Amino acid sequence: MGSYYLKRVISSIVTILLIATLTFTMMHSIPGGPFTRERPVPAEILRSLNEKYNLDAPLYVQYFDYMKGLVTFDLGPSYSKIGTSVNDLLVAGFPTSAKIGLMASVLIIILGIPVGIISALKQNKPIDYFVMFMATLGVTVPSFVVATLIIYFFAGKLGWIPSFGLTSPLGYIGPVIALTGYSLSFVARLTRSSMLEVLRQDYIRTARANGLKEFSVIGKHAVKNALIPVVTYIGPMIAAILTGSFVVEKIFAVPGMGRYYVESVTNRDYTTIMGMTVFYAAFYIVMVLFVDIAYGFIDPRIRLGKEK
Amino acid sequence: MKDNRFEFLESNIEDEEITRPSLTYWQDAWRRLKKHKLAMIGIVLIVFIVLFGTVGPYLTPYSYSDQSNDFKNLPPRLDVFEVEEGINLYLSNDYNMFLVLENGKMDRKLKLDHRDAINKVYTYLLDAGNSEEVVILDFSYNTLKDKQGYDYNFTIEYKGEIFKYTTGSKFNMSFPFGTDDLGRDILTRVMYGARISLLIAVIATMVNLFIGVIYGSISGFEGGRVDNIMMRIVDIINSIPLMLYVILLMVWFRKSDGLTNIIIALSSVFWVGMARLVRGQMLSLKEQEFVLAARVIGVPKHKIILRHLIPNAIGPIIVAMTMMIPTAVFTEAFLSFIGLGVSAPQASWGTLANNALSGLITYPYQLFFPALAIAITMLAFNFLGDGLRDALDPRLRKG
Repeated sequence: MGSYYLKRVISSIVTILLIATLTFTMMHSIPGGPFTRERPVPAEILRSLNEKYNLDAPLYVQYFDYMKGLVTFDLGPSYSKIGTSVNDLLVAGFPTSAKIGLMASVLIIILGIPVGIISALKQNKPIDYFVMFMATLGVTVPSFVVATLIIYFFAGKLGWIPSFGLTSPLGYIGPVIALTGYSLSFVARLTRSSMLEVLRQDYIRTARANGLKEFSVIGKHAVKNALIPVVTYIGPMIAAILTGSFVVEKIFAVPGMGRYYVESVTNRDYTTIMGMTVFYAAFYIVMVLFVDIAYGFIDPRIRLGKEK
Repeated sequence: MKDNRFEFLESNIEDEEITRPSLTYWQDAWRRLKKHKLAMIGIVLIVFIVLFGTVGPYLTPYSYSDQSNDFKNLPPRLDVFEVEEGINLYLSNDYNMFLVLENGKMDRKLKLDHRDAINKVYTYLLDAGNSEEVVILDFSYNTLKDKQGYDYNFTIEYKGEIFKYTTGSKFNMSFPFGTDDLGRDILTRVMYGARISLLIAVIATMVNLFIGVIYGSISGFEGGRVDNIMMRIVDIINSIPLMLYVILLMVWFRKSDGLTNIIIALSSVFWVGMARLVRGQMLSLKEQEFVLAARVIGVPKHKIILRHLIPNAIGPIIVAMTMMIPTAVFTEAFLSFIGLGVSAPQASWGTLANNALSGLITYPYQLFFPALAIAITMLAFNFLGDGLRDALDPRLRKG
């Protein structure tokens, strides 16, 4: 049992290191250095810049330096924002993204799962069709469209919420809804189909035949099992949402991680791109790891299966 | 014997035939697919979008990069002042005056003769035939201090007559979807965007299909250590959020044009799901007797995979492929939206949406059409994918 978890933890760490290596290689194989501009930087400035950021050193030295930094959670300086380190950007951006992301995740869970269950219980009734219609719409309409529509109607036309920034609590409404859209629809659809699957199982019929109340059949027997695939999806989803959706943060001008990431991409700020990618990936992998571990507790079959 | 209770039946060929004509796998699938209403809607929509993107650009008089200094930011529906029989004037948000013909065609932009920015009065010249008429726009209402509390914001004076409200509205027949901030026809650009977006999606999907099927079938068929190593690689790729990976790749290839980059970036990532699916199919298929039979008579491995295994797994593969296309459209739109997509003047739906963002409050229609196109495409492929899943693989049919 313990050895399985140990294996998972080790393989996660290896994966993170591999990703860091991959990003490092990619960023360093781009032709031209980080200070290549349209107007060439004077040679001596370039030299001193290279010296400052240790870019003259052989690649393997830079690599080990970077890895050493990574292990001690030091992601290096930002090349385009002078005087700030990537860590500073993370510290500045992550809490904001996490706050919005957490709200969105909570909303998805408390709304998506019940809606999916209700829809499954009322299969082929009007309410089911309505939910499925909305869910299909939610999955197909891109988040940037949802976000801009929110801005257009609720911020522009009606003026109920501010169109950018998080200065007032109302400012959270727009980004949270825009972030929720896709995943909420997905969770509702997933819950519904998995619930329908479970409701057809023999043990549900047995439970009903034994005269259990409908409420306890659904609540105790069906929902518990139906949620297993949903949990698989929710883990990585929370990671993706918590670290912030780039687009939503861009549209609502939220000072979160996503915005810094997009900015660093447009500015070709290689250390920031590298650092943030590794951070995102690590966060994601850790969340998946948590889900896998939690899984063993939720579903004993998986624990047994994995042990071999 | 005379018994009326029995009578001879006429020999009827049709009655004797108890079996239906046997259907091939594809005929059967098509029969099931035809019953799936949403899937049929999806097919119709997809055909429409493909025609829209391929034939469409030839039918409009403009090209996707044609700019026009006069006709900037024109909406699809024009609120006009009919100042005289047959003379419709349209006033744009940036105080340009246009002459609109009776049939809704944009005729020309009126010449701005005099601009009095302090009193907020502009004078335009309208040369109607031989005479030249003056149109005076006064937009000082509700902005200047002594002109507060009106329920209209401007007036137009023409031949001594004052118009306070628009008299009607016409569909813009010259630019049915309006024009953007450089005076480019949005209809043409959305059509062109369909071409680019679908091109990217289809090529990326094909490449993904190719890599995924080959990778997955080798991994599944070989099994053992090969399978183990190959699947660990897949696991690692899969544990990176794909969007990050695509963004990294896009940053990485910064040399050539955006179109190639985006295709390469998308094709190098999304095969992972396909590989897993195919591997799963292979694992169960390879244990079956027909594979054993093929092995016994000495069919080489690659032929077993190509001739026997892949055709048997084709159903789920096609379904996954149909679902991959909207994902690719979506990812492409997303990348273009954050500025990593195709480069101007080429336009995909994502770029169009991104360009529209800056003028959203004033010119919402510029976002509306590309967004609608994306949503319709996603819906169509999702419908078709659901239908195909039911048709090709009835075991997976959902409740």
